[in-house]
Amino acid sequence: MMRTNRISGTIAQKAKRILVNGTVSGATTRSLSTTRAALGQKAPNEARAEARAFTQKERGVKSARSGTATVVNLEDANPEYYSSPPNPTGLLSLNAKTATYSNTNRFMQLDEGFLRNLGKSVYPGNLASDFKMFGRPALLYRDGTNDLVQQLLTKRAEKGSSKASVIDGKAGTGKSAELLKLAAVGASSDYLVIYAHSTFPWVDSSRPYAPGSDGTMYVQHELTMELMKTIHGMSKTALAKVPLGKEISFGKRSLGSTMTLLDLVDFAVKVPSVSQDALDHLLEIASKQTEVPVLIAVDDVNTLWTNTLYRDQNDAILPASRLRLPSSFRPFFDGEKAVERGWVVGATSYKRSLFMPQELNSKLHPAPKVPVANPVLAQDPTLAKDTAEAAEANRLSFDVIALDRMSTAETWALMNFYHKVSVISTPVTDALVAKKWVTASGNPREMFNSVTSYF
Amino acid sequence: MLHLLGVNLPDQKVVSVALTYFYGIGPLTARKICSQLSIHQQCKLSELTEGQLNQVSGVLSGMTIENDLKRQVAANVQHLRRIGTYIGKRHAMGMPVHGQNTRNNSKTAKKLNGRMLRRYSTTTNTAFNLQALGVLRSPLSKGL
Repeated sequence: MMRTNRISGTIAQKAKRILVNGTVSGATTRSLSTTRAALGQKAPNEARAEARAFTQKERGVKSARSGTATVVNLEDANPEYYSSPPNPTGLLSLNAKTATYSNTNRFMQLDEGFLRNLGKSVYPGNLASDFKMFGRPALLYRDGTNDLVQQLLTKRAEKGSSKASVIDGKAGTGKSAELLKLAAVGASSDYLVIYAHSTFPWVDSSRPYAPGSDGTMYVQHELTMELMKTIHGMSKTALAKVPLGKEISFGKRSLGSTMTLLDLVDFAVKVPSVSQDALDHLLEIASKQTEVPVLIAVDDVNTLWTNTLYRDQNDAILPASRLRLPSSFRPFFDGEKAVERGWVVGATSYKRSLFMPQELNSKLHPAPKVPVANPVLAQDPTLAKDTAEAAEANRLSFDVIALDRMSTAETWALMNFYHKVSVISTPVTDALVAKKWVTASGNPREMFNSVTSYF
Repeated sequence: MLHLLGVNLPDQKVVSVALTYFYGIGPLTARKICSQLSIHQQCKLSELTEGQLNQVSGVLSGMTIENDLKRQVAANVQHLRRIGTYIGKRHAMGMPVHGQNTRNNSKTAKKLNGRMLRRYSTTTNTAFNLQALGVLRSPLSKGL
């Protein structure tokens, strides 16, 4: 018994030593993981992971793809189908010197400095896609453009308040382009240019807004600051020439009367919360002074009278008159305010019919008045009558500049340019120009769409 | 993902859409909340500042949503059942409540109605209810 116990004790001690040390003289043991590695087995977790039918994607912010999805190595590409973007040369830069009658029906390039101040790829209307196709921002200097430029130069020389003007025409006739050219010419000369290239973001509830201090009006600091940046970039020289004339205080900070509008705009850009008040002061001072001519250009001007997509704190729809930013410009088009030296010009837009008020539309395009021959119907009070009262009610507070269709000479210049920038490959002939002019009714947008319909 | 009041809200969604992820908030209520806090329509949840998020939380805390609302609805249905109304009985039977035909269809009602009553035992012990429903009494209910 004792011997058995001694033997079992010895075995137990050996086993204990094995468990503690892992090896006993003459005998080696391995850990479980080493054994698996020796046998080439995988750990159960790894095996289970590989056995999944799917892989979990990493979570993260999805980045939107931009540009073309297909990358083409142009060195190996067929030159018949793939070509480098067009780079038309010999284009004049549009400015006050080149904006003359002699350059009519000629494509001119917009100044890079002007575009930089406007913002990256921020072009009014559908011009962004046009410029991308052309390879650079170039616009046709039309007869209508020359008339507008001459009017601008006339108002520069005159002193005395004049009525605002609004460029109106069918969709695609080039209203936004005309306003852009006017702003470019004004910015290149000594004008103080206040150019709002698109006012749809002011009313379509795409940008932040906040209730004002009085509770009834609402402010859009971000949009106002962007506008002030544009004004600062375009008219730095002109702003520096106009003194404030009075002390302006913004809370704790105040600007002295000897400071200039440039200081005011600088301050507004640095402190967005006062940008709206600064804009109001800028418009008030700029409109009353006569030292520097002022050009106020507002595209999509119909948004100043529309109902917006913003809502007040009671969930009621806000009209544009309750937003301070559109309300700053509306008095100039309503005839309540005027610029002493310079011009206030706007352009309508039919791109988003939601923001074209019915009343304004009916005033811009009144129904034809047909005399009522039937004496009974003539006494009907519900029928619109051609009376002085009706005329007064339908009278507009601004002058309308109707932008008509393109002439054949302008169409010829357009087609030539399209051929130069490889938008069309067929040579330009009389027949082609006539065909495009007739089918598009002289509408530049329809002509562009007809030549790019397969792009 | 933004975690607000116990609900995971997707960051990249517009605020008025993200708020509908709460039980008890639909498009109209979400729009009213955005209008009250002057949040523009195209604002995404990730663009909100901390102050605005706190304001949203504050507004939502004052409303009956999520579990509070579920409890309230369940209590309303139980009350109707308890006092022996026609609507309560229809909920208990899992049948349509608003006068729909049951000859055909009524699948949704059979699936969803009365789910708020199934967890709880009915303590109503009137002979009328027992006769009308023909259900077995649960062991927990008091005897007649």
